[in-house]
Amino acid sequence: MIINSILSFEFPPINELLRWRDVVPGLNKVGLIAIASALIGTLIFLSAARKDPKVAPKGTRNLAEVIVEFIENNIIMQTMGRDGLGWTPFLLTLFLFVYLCNVPGIIPFIQMPATARMAIPMFLAVLVWVVFNAQGIRHQGPIGYFKNLMFPPGVPKALYILITPIELISTLIIRPFSLAVRLFANMLAGHLLLVIFALLSEALFQARDKILIPIGVFPFFMLVFLTGFEVLVAFLQAYIFTILAAVYIAGAVHPEH
Amino acid sequence: MLTAFVYTNSFSEVRVSLDAVSAETGSEEGVPVGPGPNPISPEVKELVWGAGSFIVFLILMRLFLVPKVRKGMASRYESIQADHEYATSTRDGAQADVARYEAAVAEIRNEAARRLEAARQTLDKERSAKIAEVNAQIASRRAEAESEVAAARAAAQGQIVSAVTAVTTRATQIAVGVSPDNAVVTRSVQQAMEGSRS
Repeated sequence: MIINSILSFEFPPINELLRWRDVVPGLNKVGLIAIASALIGTLIFLSAARKDPKVAPKGTRNLAEVIVEFIENNIIMQTMGRDGLGWTPFLLTLFLFVYLCNVPGIIPFIQMPATARMAIPMFLAVLVWVVFNAQGIRHQGPIGYFKNLMFPPGVPKALYILITPIELISTLIIRPFSLAVRLFANMLAGHLLLVIFALLSEALFQARDKILIPIGVFPFFMLVFLTGFEVLVAFLQAYIFTILAAVYIAGAVHPEH
Repeated sequence: MLTAFVYTNSFSEVRVSLDAVSAETGSEEGVPVGPGPNPISPEVKELVWGAGSFIVFLILMRLFLVPKVRKGMASRYESIQADHEYATSTRDGAQADVARYEAAVAEIRNEAARRLEAARQTLDKERSAKIAEVNAQIASRRAEAESEVAAARAAAQGQIVSAVTAVTTRATQIAVGVSPDNAVVTRSVQQAMEGSRS
């Protein structure tokens, strides 16, 4: 009886979990989260910029300064050095936007990271791809950039047969692909895990067989644990995306590194 | 509502639907009909809104917000740096003042010690001189006193000699009937007194 009940549990198709009714024609929940993320980020920095910078920072000013210092000290200085401080606005925006798109995955009644759909990770990955290639061409010239890309200095010439196609494919195709898929897949997987344990908890708590009701505590505990874990994942994925963008830009600007 | 929710009639009849509308029928207005979006391929509307939001956000951050926040941070850091430098220079000045004060105190202490030593030496000299002077006075007074004592003793001794001589002369006169020579008796008495003294 119990086995029959468990085997008859139906998990909805993934595409149904990701189908959202348009708020207005052409704008669904993912688009709304993207707009809200940009708006929240703007409001934080707008509020911070309006406060007196001479006094000790508090509230949004403190938050904005902490984010700026985090990006500068833990991403730019570690990957690009002092020369890369000009990239603070771009990398800061990238980090904040990805993070604010990730976080709704654990906010009750929203519970959907905008990055769990391919559109935003793909756009951001393509943007990073364009930016680092453009910087490489700008700093090294088109010939120098592609020459350094295909024939990395310091490598024995015999290895170029292997290295050149690997580097070319890695830099021009795999980098943006992995950047997008890493973020998208992690956030979608986290979203699906939360859905699975939420459905399982509800199904067990409302089961006809009373013996199944206490078992619902276990998936519910996993749901709580994974929600906490998703807080970490949301930050970590934003950090990884941003630091990889910084590494790619730094590599394109300074090929000797 | 945008969120997906699950309704469950029983454990064996779990179904997921969106917005209280059956996924199969999609009969309510505004609900997409069909199996839902491909979970991997991007949707154009999401791409447009996501890209648009990010680009607007980036432009605002790049042109206005981050430079303003960064400028405020830099001005505060500079202010703190200036205050720190001022505090450092003030502390250095105070330390120099303390060093000068300590040097002045040490000099004054040396001068005081030097003057104290000179005063002590002067006092020692004066005390020695006074003691010598007093000792000289005592010695002269003692000498005077001794001479007076010697004169008094000599006078007393002369009186005793004359008295003993008179008694001896009278006793001899009574005993023998003849008066002895006064000079002999006097010399005998003197010899007897000197002998008993020695």
